[in-house]
Amino acid sequence: MVAIIEKREIRDFDWLTTVLAIAIASFGVWQIHNALPTESYWTKQIFGLVVALIAFAIVAVSDYRRIIDAAPIIYVVGLVLLFLVLTPFGVEVNGQRAWVRLPLVGQFQPSEFAKIPTILMLAKYFGARKGGALQIREVMIGALIMAGPLGLIMLEPDIGQAITYIPIFAAVLFLSAIKYVIAGLLAVVVLVPTAWYVGVKSGKIKRYQQERVNVVLDPDSADPRGFGYHTVQSMITVGKGGLSGIRGETETSQSVLKFLPEPQTDFIFAVTAENTGFIGCVSLLLAYALLLSRLVAGAREVSDRQGMLVIMSIATAMTFQIFMNIGMTLGFLPVIGVPLPLMSAGLSAILSTFIAIGFVVSVRMRRFVN
Amino acid sequence: MKLNEHSQNLGGRIITIQVVAFVLLAILGARLYYLQVVRGDYFSERAENQRIRLIPIPAPRGAIFDRNGKILVDSRPTFNVVLSNEPIKGIEVDDRVDEYAKGLSLEPLYVRERLVSIKKQNDFETLVLKDNASMQDIAWVESHLLEFPELRVELQPQRFYPHGTSMAHVLGYVGEISPKQLESDEYRQKGFRPGDIIGKGGLEQYYDEFLRGTPGYRKVIVDSRGRVQSEIGKVEPQSGQDLITTIDLDLQNAAEQQLAATPTKRGTIISMDPNNGEMLAMASLPSFDPNIFVQGSKTKEGRKQIAAYWQDPQRPLYNRAIQGRYPPGSTWKIPESVAGLEQGAITVAHSNLACGGGIQVGNKFTRCMGNHGSPRLDAAITHSCDGYYYRLALKLGIEGITEMVEQFDYDKVSGIDLPNEKISQTPKSWRPIVEKREGKWSDIRTVYSGIGQDTVVITPISHLRAIASVGVHGQMYVPHFMKEFKSVSPVGEEGDPNYIPGRQGFTFQHPEAKLIPMTAEQNEMIVRGMWGVVNGGGTAAAIRIPGFDIAGKTGTAQVAELGKDVGGKKDHAWFVSFAPANKPEIAVLALVENVGFGGSFAAPAVKGVYEAYLAKKGIQPQADTDEGAKQ
Repeated sequence: MVAIIEKREIRDFDWLTTVLAIAIASFGVWQIHNALPTESYWTKQIFGLVVALIAFAIVAVSDYRRIIDAAPIIYVVGLVLLFLVLTPFGVEVNGQRAWVRLPLVGQFQPSEFAKIPTILMLAKYFGARKGGALQIREVMIGALIMAGPLGLIMLEPDIGQAITYIPIFAAVLFLSAIKYVIAGLLAVVVLVPTAWYVGVKSGKIKRYQQERVNVVLDPDSADPRGFGYHTVQSMITVGKGGLSGIRGETETSQSVLKFLPEPQTDFIFAVTAENTGFIGCVSLLLAYALLLSRLVAGAREVSDRQGMLVIMSIATAMTFQIFMNIGMTLGFLPVIGVPLPLMSAGLSAILSTFIAIGFVVSVRMRRFVN
Repeated sequence: MKLNEHSQNLGGRIITIQVVAFVLLAILGARLYYLQVVRGDYFSERAENQRIRLIPIPAPRGAIFDRNGKILVDSRPTFNVVLSNEPIKGIEVDDRVDEYAKGLSLEPLYVRERLVSIKKQNDFETLVLKDNASMQDIAWVESHLLEFPELRVELQPQRFYPHGTSMAHVLGYVGEISPKQLESDEYRQKGFRPGDIIGKGGLEQYYDEFLRGTPGYRKVIVDSRGRVQSEIGKVEPQSGQDLITTIDLDLQNAAEQQLAATPTKRGTIISMDPNNGEMLAMASLPSFDPNIFVQGSKTKEGRKQIAAYWQDPQRPLYNRAIQGRYPPGSTWKIPESVAGLEQGAITVAHSNLACGGGIQVGNKFTRCMGNHGSPRLDAAITHSCDGYYYRLALKLGIEGITEMVEQFDYDKVSGIDLPNEKISQTPKSWRPIVEKREGKWSDIRTVYSGIGQDTVVITPISHLRAIASVGVHGQMYVPHFMKEFKSVSPVGEEGDPNYIPGRQGFTFQHPEAKLIPMTAEQNEMIVRGMWGVVNGGGTAAAIRIPGFDIAGKTGTAQVAELGKDVGGKKDHAWFVSFAPANKPEIAVLALVENVGFGGSFAAPAVKGVYEAYLAKKGIQPQADTDEGAKQ
C-alpha cells in the first residue's frame, strides 16, 4: 500500500497544512491541560497526537488512488466496526453507547473513523462519473452509501455524529453537479429539521436532548440549574475570558471548579476562550480558516475528481464540525456532542482527523502526477 | 482549474463552499466579540458570583458580669448541622428525609419541613437542620460529606444563662430576629439580616448594640456543587463588649430566695444603692428560664414550653418590678409626708393631726385601723396612722397630691436601663378621666389617695427610687444596671478595607440627680418615723437587726373591699426601706402579691436581703439588748 516516495513528492509535500494541523493540535493539548491541569487528559492527548502523526505520515506517503481503489473493502470494515458498537463489544461512556473495546486495540469510537471509509466510497463512486448533470439513480446510490454508516450510528444512537455525516453527502452532491442546485441546498435545510422531527417522533432523540435544543432559544430565562445549565455555564466561561483571557489563573477557572461540564472534550473551546480570550479565539479561528483555505486550494489544484472530492468532503465535514461545536459553546446552537476537530481530547477524534488530513496531503503531493 | 473542462463550473462550486465556510467562521467571530468584548465584564461577574461565597463567622456576644466579676451570662460553643440549599436544588425531598432522620436522630416530619423550606429559599441560603449537635452527629456529617455535600457543621456560640430563672427579667434573652422586626425601618437601617441573633428583653435588648459583636466571614471559592475549594480571605469577627452590671449576685440570690419563700411566690424584691442609683438586685417571680428561649425555640418541646410561658395566667414573662402596677398602700405615706412638710400643710414644729379613728367624708366614714390620738408625723409613720393621712391628704388637696406626684416622678418612667418600663398611674393621670366620667373629683378620692389606694397604682421601681431619695436628703438618682462596658480591641490593620475599629470602654453616665427640696429637720423627722417602724415598736418591729438601723415603711394594699380580701384577693404586702437609717448604703423594696399584711410578709423578706448584705460585709448581728427601747 505504501508507495515509493520519490524526491519530487517530498518536494511537493504540503508542509504548511501539516504544520498548521500540528500547531492547532498542540494548542489543543495546552487547552486540555488548562481545562483540568490535575487530570491526565492532556498527557493522553500528547500520546494520541504522536499516534495520529504516525498514522498521518503513513497515509500521506501512500498513494491515495490505490486506497480509493480499495474503498469498498475499507467501507465494509467501517460498517463492521460500527456494527460492533451494537454488540457486546460496545461500551457505554457517559450514558452514550458509541464506543467499542477490542482486545489489543483498546477502546475507540467507530463513528469518528467511519467518516473516512464513507468519504472514500463516495469519492470512488462519484469521482468515476464522466460529468454532466447528476442522475436520480446516482443520487440514490450515493444515498445508499450514506445509509449504511448513518443507519448504524442512528441505532447507537449518536445524533451528534450522525449529523456531521450529512454535510459530507451534501458537498459531494453539490460538487457532482446536482442539477438543481437550489433544490440540493434546500434538501440540506429540510433534512435537518426532518431528521429532528423523525428523531423526536421515534424516540431516538431523548427528552433531555430536546430540552437542550429548546434552551438555545432563550438560555437566560431557562432554569440555570436545569437543561440550560450547560449552555449558560459555557457562555459565562467564554465571556469571562474577555479580551485576553485569565492568564494562568487556572485554580479558579470555570472548568477546574467544575462549573463547565466536559471541558476537555465538547467544551474545549470555552476553555480556550477563558484562558486566551478574544485574541486567542480569533487566532484559532484564523488558523482554522487558513487550514481550510489550504484544503480548498489543494482541491482546486488536484488533477482527478476523486482526489478533489476527498479533500472537499473532509474540508466540509471539518467546517461543519467547527461550526456546530463552537456554535454550541457560544450558546446559539443546541448542545449536541460534536468534538472540535484537532482540539477536543480523544484518541479517536485526533486520529481520524489526522488520517483525513493525511489523505489531503497525499492527494496534494500527487497533484502533478497523472 | 484542471477539471474545468466539464460544464458544471466546478471552480465556482468549490469557491461557494469556501465562502460558506468563511461566513460560518465569521459568524462565530462576531458572536465571540459580543460575548467576550461587549459582555465580558458581565460574564466575569457572573462567574465570580457563582464561585465566591462568604461564610459568616458568628461573633461572640459580650458576656455579662455582676459587680464583683461573677458571670451572669456567657456564650458557650455549640455545633449546628447546617443545610445549604444549593447542592440539593435538583434533589427530591424524599431522597433525603429518611437518611437525615436516621443519621441525625431527628423526626422525619421535621426534616421534611426543613427541607421543603430550604428549597424555597434563594441560592446560597442556609438553614439550621440540627442545633446542639452531638459528637455522633458531627461524625456522621463528616463521614457523609461526599454523599450529602449540602450538610455542614458550623460552630455557633450559644448564649447561656447559668443562673436559670434568677434575674431572667433583668437579663432578658436572645433569639433570632423576628420577621416583623426585620420589616421595621429601625432594624433594617442597621443592616440586620434574617437569622441574626438579637437581644430580646432585659439588658440583652437594652444594650444589644454594645453586647453584639461584628460578625466576620470567610471568603471562599466553591465548586459547582458548593464544596469549598480554597479560602481566599478571612475577616475575623469582633466580639461584643463585656458588660459589668451593678448587680450583686449574693444579694440577688437572697432576694430570689426570700421571694420564693413567700406563700404566693409572686411579687418582686428590688434593691439599689440610694447614693447613685446602682441596682443591686431585682427579683421578680414567677420567672422563666431564658435558656429555653435560646435553645428550645427550634425543638417541639421548647416551643411548647415557650407557648406555656405566654399563656400562663401568672404571667412569668412580665417583670413585676418595672411593669407591674400596684396600689402602694401605706408606703405611699412617705412621699406624702415629704409633700406635707414641703408644701407647708404641716411643719416640723406643728405636725400633729388627729387620727379620729377614721374620717367622715359626706355620708361615708372611712376608718383607721387603730386609734392613735393626735400623733406627730414621725409617730404617724411609725404606727401607720390612716386617720392622720386622710386629713393630710385633704389638707394637700388634689393639687398638692398632683404636685407631689410630679415631684417624685411618679408620672414618668424611672429611666432604668431596661426596655418596656411602665408608667405609674396616679391621681394626676386619673383626674381627667374621673372628672370626665363623674363630673368632678370628689374628696373621698383624695382621702383614698392619702393611703395609696384607689387612683394610685405605681410601679415598684418608681417607688423604690422615691423612697431611697428620702434617705439621701432628696437626691433622686436614675436607677441603672449598667456599671461599665469593657473595651474591645480593633480587628485588622487600620486602612484595611475590612478594618473594624476597636470599641471604647465606658462607664454609666449619671444624669444629674433630681433634688427633692426638704430641710434637714424635715428629712430627719421622716427618717425618724421610718426608723421607728422597725426599731421603735412600729409596724415592722419584728425585723429589727440590732446594730443595723433599718428605716422602712410597711404597706398593705387592698385588692378588694374589706371582707372580700381573702384567698386570691388577699392584700398585697409591701415593705420599703433603706439602711442604715442615718447614712443609707442600700435600699430594699419588697412587694408580695396577695399574701396579706406587709409587716408579716414583705418586711421579713427584706430583712433576709439585709442579712445577706451584712454577711457580705462581715458584720455579725449584735445581741439584741435594747429591744424596742428608743422611739
